[in-house]
Amino acid sequence: MTEAVCSSPDERQVAFDSYVVPHLDVMYRVALSLTRNPADAEDLVQDAVLRAYRAIDRFDGRYPRAWLLTIVRNTHYNRTRRRIPFLFRDGESAEAALENLGDHEPSAESVVVDPQFEGVVVDALNDLPEKFRAPVDLVDIHGLSYQETADALGIPIGTVMSRLHRARARIRAHLNTAGFIPGKEMA
Amino acid sequence: MVLTRSTRLRCHQVAKTLQAYLDGEVVPRKADQVAAHLEECRQCGLDAQTYRAIKASIATSYAPDDTAREAVVRLRGFVEGLAAGDHG
Repeated sequence: MTEAVCSSPDERQVAFDSYVVPHLDVMYRVALSLTRNPADAEDLVQDAVLRAYRAIDRFDGRYPRAWLLTIVRNTHYNRTRRRIPFLFRDGESAEAALENLGDHEPSAESVVVDPQFEGVVVDALNDLPEKFRAPVDLVDIHGLSYQETADALGIPIGTVMSRLHRARARIRAHLNTAGFIPGKEMA
Repeated sequence: MVLTRSTRLRCHQVAKTLQAYLDGEVVPRKADQVAAHLEECRQCGLDAQTYRAIKASIATSYAPDDTAREAVVRLRGFVEGLAAGDHG
């Protein structure tokens, strides 16, 4: 068993300042991704901070960010009393979508310079079901690693990867439909 | 890195690992193999460019705003209050 990092009140406060304070920003960003509401996100982080404060005596000092993100996630689920959906099937891939490109592709530059491109992407992201949108939020917006995303969402890292794959394929399909990416229509 | 026939990736192999490659989540050797394939294969290279553009669009459209910055400042104050025993 790993030893906790503090025993006295002073050590507890030092540990808390050392392990929790530097991660308030990422805790808020993850909370915002989970709640989609700034006020709820702030409340969630406050609850998570309180839990972390009470549990700091038992924290072994390793991977504080992962520890804190797990607390944020658990606090969120406790607050919403929502069960984690495990109905997603991972067998499906985006390869079919990737293979649907036509024979006459434009230059890569023509894909990225259109000013409406970003709007289509953001709309497509917001249209995604929560289980697909959340990993994209955490990786692309908040810069979390796959492992940190898995910790924050309480899902295996392989599920993070497959959901990212499918989410981005769906966004890409929106771009295709909107005419930003030439090729055959998605099935 | 010199790629031999045995180390070259095929399109379907690149498609499977492309997202992790773009997210910086593959080991250097695999990253070299994917990069080499993207240089050689026009279709896979275009796919990668599209997904890079998608990632960049998402990242830039959600830059931290004043609301987020102010929330984190308040949270720091909350933590300081914890230290002072305000929230018990």
